[in-house]
Amino acid sequence: MNKLLFKDIDEPGLNTIDVYRRRGGYEQLRRALSMPREAVLNELLASGLRGRGGAGFAMGKKISFLPKGALDIYLCCNADESEPGTFKDRELMQKNPHMLIEGIIIAAYAAGANKSFIYIRGEYVLQADILDAAVLEAERAGFLGENILGSDHRLSLVVHRGAGAYICGEETALLDSLEGKRGNPRLKPPFPANQGLYQGPTLINNVETLATVPAIMGMGGDAYAKLGTETSTGTKLVSVSGHVKRPGNYEIELGVSSREIIYGLAGGPPEGRSVKLWFPGGSSSPVLTGDDLDLAYDFDTMAKAGSMLGSGAIIVVDDQTSVVDVAYKTAYFYRHESCGKCTPCREGTNWTVKMLERMKAGEATPMDLDIIASVCDNIIGHCLCVLGDAMAMPVGSMVAKFRDEFEEYIEARRQESYLGTADPEPELALIQGAVA
Amino acid sequence: MITFSIDGREVQSPENLMLVDAAKYGDVEIPVFCYEPKLGNPVGACRMCLVEIEGIPKLQTGCSTPVKDGMVVHTQNTRVHEAQEAVVEFLLINHPLDCPVCDKGGECPLQDISFGWGGGRSRFIEPKRHFQKPLELSPLIAIDRERCILCYRCVRYSQEVAEDYQLVLQERGAASYVATFDGHPYVAPFSGNIIELCPVGALTSRPYRFRARPWDIEGSGSVCTMCPGQCNVTFTVRDDRVLRVLQRDNAEVDDGWLCDRGRFAYQAIHVDERVTSPMVRGQDGQLVPVSWDRALSEAAAGLTAAGSAVGALAGSGTTNEEGFLVQRIVREALGSRDLDSQRAPVSRDALLAISDPALQATVPDLEFAHAVLVLDTEPVDDMAILDLRIRKGVRRNHVKLAIASARPSSLDANAAASVRFAPGAGPAFAAELVSAAKGEPSSDDARSIVALLREAGEDVVILASERVGVALAALADALGLRDRAGAGLLVVPSSANGRGLREVGFLPDAGPGLSPVAEPGRHAGQIAEAAATGDITALWLLGIDPLRDLPYRLRWEQALSRAATVIAHTNFLTEGIRDHATVVFPAEAYAEKDGTLTHPDGRLQRVRPAIGHSGAGRYGWQVLTDLGTRVGLHVPRVLTSGIALAQLAQAVPFYAGITQDEIGGRGIRWQERPAASAFPAPAPASVNVSPAPRVGPSAPASGLRLGTFRSIWASPEVEHSPALAFLRPRQKIEMAPSDADRLGLGDGQRVLVSNNGTQVSATVALRQAIPAGSVFLQDGLAEDSANVLTGSIVEVRRA
Amino acid sequence: MAEVRRFEHGSRVPGWDASVDLRKDPAGVPDPATTPVPAELRAEIEAQMAKYPDFRSAALPALAAVQRHHGWCSPEGIEQAACVMRLTPGYLTAVATFYDMFDTVPTGRNRVYVCTNISCSLRGADELCHRIEQLTADDADIQVKHFECLGACDIAPMVSVNGIYVGPVELDEVDELIDDVRNDRDPLPRKQLRLRPSADTLPMGDGQ
Repeated sequence: MNKLLFKDIDEPGLNTIDVYRRRGGYEQLRRALSMPREAVLNELLASGLRGRGGAGFAMGKKISFLPKGALDIYLCCNADESEPGTFKDRELMQKNPHMLIEGIIIAAYAAGANKSFIYIRGEYVLQADILDAAVLEAERAGFLGENILGSDHRLSLVVHRGAGAYICGEETALLDSLEGKRGNPRLKPPFPANQGLYQGPTLINNVETLATVPAIMGMGGDAYAKLGTETSTGTKLVSVSGHVKRPGNYEIELGVSSREIIYGLAGGPPEGRSVKLWFPGGSSSPVLTGDDLDLAYDFDTMAKAGSMLGSGAIIVVDDQTSVVDVAYKTAYFYRHESCGKCTPCREGTNWTVKMLERMKAGEATPMDLDIIASVCDNIIGHCLCVLGDAMAMPVGSMVAKFRDEFEEYIEARRQESYLGTADPEPELALIQGAVA
Repeated sequence: MITFSIDGREVQSPENLMLVDAAKYGDVEIPVFCYEPKLGNPVGACRMCLVEIEGIPKLQTGCSTPVKDGMVVHTQNTRVHEAQEAVVEFLLINHPLDCPVCDKGGECPLQDISFGWGGGRSRFIEPKRHFQKPLELSPLIAIDRERCILCYRCVRYSQEVAEDYQLVLQERGAASYVATFDGHPYVAPFSGNIIELCPVGALTSRPYRFRARPWDIEGSGSVCTMCPGQCNVTFTVRDDRVLRVLQRDNAEVDDGWLCDRGRFAYQAIHVDERVTSPMVRGQDGQLVPVSWDRALSEAAAGLTAAGSAVGALAGSGTTNEEGFLVQRIVREALGSRDLDSQRAPVSRDALLAISDPALQATVPDLEFAHAVLVLDTEPVDDMAILDLRIRKGVRRNHVKLAIASARPSSLDANAAASVRFAPGAGPAFAAELVSAAKGEPSSDDARSIVALLREAGEDVVILASERVGVALAALADALGLRDRAGAGLLVVPSSANGRGLREVGFLPDAGPGLSPVAEPGRHAGQIAEAAATGDITALWLLGIDPLRDLPYRLRWEQALSRAATVIAHTNFLTEGIRDHATVVFPAEAYAEKDGTLTHPDGRLQRVRPAIGHSGAGRYGWQVLTDLGTRVGLHVPRVLTSGIALAQLAQAVPFYAGITQDEIGGRGIRWQERPAASAFPAPAPASVNVSPAPRVGPSAPASGLRLGTFRSIWASPEVEHSPALAFLRPRQKIEMAPSDADRLGLGDGQRVLVSNNGTQVSATVALRQAIPAGSVFLQDGLAEDSANVLTGSIVEVRRA
Repeated sequence: MAEVRRFEHGSRVPGWDASVDLRKDPAGVPDPATTPVPAELRAEIEAQMAKYPDFRSAALPALAAVQRHHGWCSPEGIEQAACVMRLTPGYLTAVATFYDMFDTVPTGRNRVYVCTNISCSLRGADELCHRIEQLTADDADIQVKHFECLGACDIAPMVSVNGIYVGPVELDEVDELIDDVRNDRDPLPRKQLRLRPSADTLPMGDGQ
């Protein structure tokens, strides 16, 4: 397979503009600027490129929703990669920042945007420093600023560092955070395409999506669309982690079998163990089981299987791990990251964690599983943004698919607890910083 | 109007109304917690208002979905019920359900909605949160974090209405809580509004705490008389005592907000210090309570003895009826011409010009104008509620705000332009603005302000202090505001009913209806002089203590000492009255009053009694009629407040025919009645603006230029309300850091401010925004009030 | 039958039980005349404010500057930033407490974030974190924080030391790691993420 994003990714010095340009970097920008905006947009539309951040919305279409006219249009690159299991953007930004910057400049040209931002999560210090340096290089080389390469396109690019909040990966929360507020999601409508950053029309795209743009310009939208499947075109970076021998990022063509990724590329679980469950698209995707390994890895197949491709982060859990622990870790994460703005998410995640804590302490009954399932149901579709759903869907799916194991666990823990044989300080003591 | 279907019924409503409001047209209630249009755009946070809309797969929030023609909405099917029950269950997870000991119980939206839309059960068996409660959020507000459902209303209020950004949400997710920075109290001029906004019992009024249950109380609508804002209020009354003041939303006046003085100073109604019986000064020089008959006859004797040597002053909440009766007695029975209701003299001609109905703006105009000019007034101190209105206009409707003042304004941060002039140079700067507007030579500041107003659009509202005077009319004309709806002047008078008092003729140079008088009398300053020299021998004070409320304190001390008779209608024995009054009548508290006021935009409003009179109190119009009869005023008897109003309406041509019924609960602007045409035309020749040489805010050759202002908290009601006592202002001198450096002074230091042999002591408050060369002191204080000083240049030295 | 255990409850969130101090003045926008701001901090915040169409966007960078300057987002530091930005300290506190990386209580100058999210915990992060906490329990200079996914599951279990990612950290490397932190040395250089080749380019079977 031809790599588009990870081509020679470990080439020494690829993060500098000299090496990047020597390898043909910024040539696609030059070509794009010589084309009318509409032609660039048509290439993107033809490519069928779907957003790589999680929602999988067609990128070209997103641009075409922006209002035309003399308004200030903003472009925000979402580099707040926080979905558990996801680390692909990190590697891209660290090793090939100029590909992202070139993609941003081309996308901004197509969208008519003249102010752009990269919102990078605050924990990515190294990557942000690299981006800062790369932006400076690009400015000096005349790829950013006024009259880029002699065209009438102008663009500023600011690298904005977050400060540790998963919710800021949600596009409207990202905007609030970028405006210097608490990162609370906004009510939609209005959608960012109409009223986003500073109330202006705003295009928000994931790092990987934007980094793909130069490749699309290079090979042509139609050629790109031939990669992958009909509705999931192109290549995708997949972050594989958890119980696999070779965790890491892999560039795959969409539509390959999941088994090929988990076993073929990542080496599968350690010897003698098997896959109990796996998250196909980050921790917010409903889990699949070992029976689902032969599903094709693309947007539609995953959706049909009741889950989602999400950010393309596969977390593999082997058969030695208790599903209750996984459910607890998942719920705990989302409770920690809930912004607190809307009721079902704030209270529902908290309640779910408390019930799971009780389960681990041996004080639950199988009836609590019904309550967890019902609470998850009550969260799904009732929240302001998708964070509540992001907990309710995987936890709900674990309770549904592994109910027997949950019940056995509850019974075992209950007996330990009541017979007094349990460890006097069970895991509960480890739950630190917990919210009462 | 569009037609949509809700729960199977066709309902008509205006298009684009939010569903929760549109549903009301079909008598359907959709429950809400966070939705409150007064706070700005909906946030959709509480999720209580989820409804099903056909064609949209997910349930939608009714608070944020505009209704469209043909929409089919369900609020009563199983899916919606389950969602509503789920949200109530979630909200009650950590709510303590301590309704029996909660002040909100009985008037609590959470109670009502749990009962109406909740499932009636909870599956939550983990321990609930327990925290210390209640905690103090400020001396006025208690916060109970167990009860809080995190609806965001209070923090949205602080950030988007009051814009003080003091009350914020801290932490995140389930750990979020409402708090302030580093344990600072939430003290702000409008903080009390969050109590009414809170849909649960998380924010409660400390003064009202545990005072009553909703079934013990009754509400009584009236108007607050503590400042010219005249906000509409509802008194909560239990057993003939006012226990609470709530807003009574009137978009034309207050937009549903109250300042903390209006909300909490009701406490001064029921304190022991209040004067509740007539008093006269006895042989030993002490004021002693006496019968009405004794007090009335002493007062009558004093007035009769003085005859034309009587000087009368009125202020604060004096009603139109009271003012009218007093001016009749003074003019008709006593033959005096010396009466005044203004702090600084503004001539009849000037008043006619600036009160011209063709130039009047209304309060809502501040919100919808293209531009607003705030000229020589500080809204938060002078007419508090307008502060919120101006902020709203700037924030929501992008009104361009320009500020021209001597003292930095709290609205500066919202203004497109702010300019400073020297203290006292307001009229001069207004004249410059007139020149600039006419294209004549003027200062840069004036030209930039005029350019800003012109660029913003045609609808300009000028909010200005009365003392700016006649130049305002010239400025409005030069800007082309005459006869323009939504534009014009809004003039802030010096006392709560200043406009009403002058329109009923409580002026030295104008009678009722601003009619001309044959020979003008003395204005307040001249009355002081005449009394000090013995030309005036009796002073009659309605709701005013000259030592507190007027300039030249020392002159007034001489005047009050020398006058043989000093009659005061008052609630409290402030210094001037305590030391000098010979007869004291108990004035009514505003919750006891019955009468009318005139709002600065011309709206007549009714003050209605909520409680009976304390002690031996009587209606003001009744006392004045009695007194009038005793001094020989021959008028038809006034038996009710309605008769008093009728007599007044006869005398003021542009109030003709107005009745209490017509005024009603919301008031009516006289400019909108046919009788408005009877307003006397101003004499054109008299509107003569001569641009006085302007004094810039630059430093004077020696000493420092003194500006004064009266804080919103400088009033006897604040002093006597236990809950507000902590806000009672103490004298401080605001100065620029450069001046302080030069004088070797630091923040918080005690200093003496002196001139012409007079001095006050004050604490230095450094302010970056104060123009170098100027300092500011407060007026209206019990001690060290700025009105002790007599000149405009002061010396400051370390105490 | 054993006694049914009950969860400890009450306030585990700083602030919940906090009353205001009524002796304090309300916290409006700090007046520059009475709020001295270190020149360096002011310059940094002002430079950030200039980068954005709306100066408020600089709130996060300003708080980060305060944290660098004062070691944590102290009330004093927040007041200084508020003074430069003409915002209330309350506004900045609301922002600071929302984000995990801002410390609004005093803390050690070395920040050790241990990822304990799903992928890392599947590979032993909980034990790792426990070990690190034990080792640094009485070291006021080191702040150890359980952190949610730091975006480096390929080196799980991993630790971020003052922003430098290291992993996978074996339990027997903890002593060395903490020793590096204590002595201001580059933490576990051989395990740093920046040096790690992409899994995609490695020959099969060579993964760690």
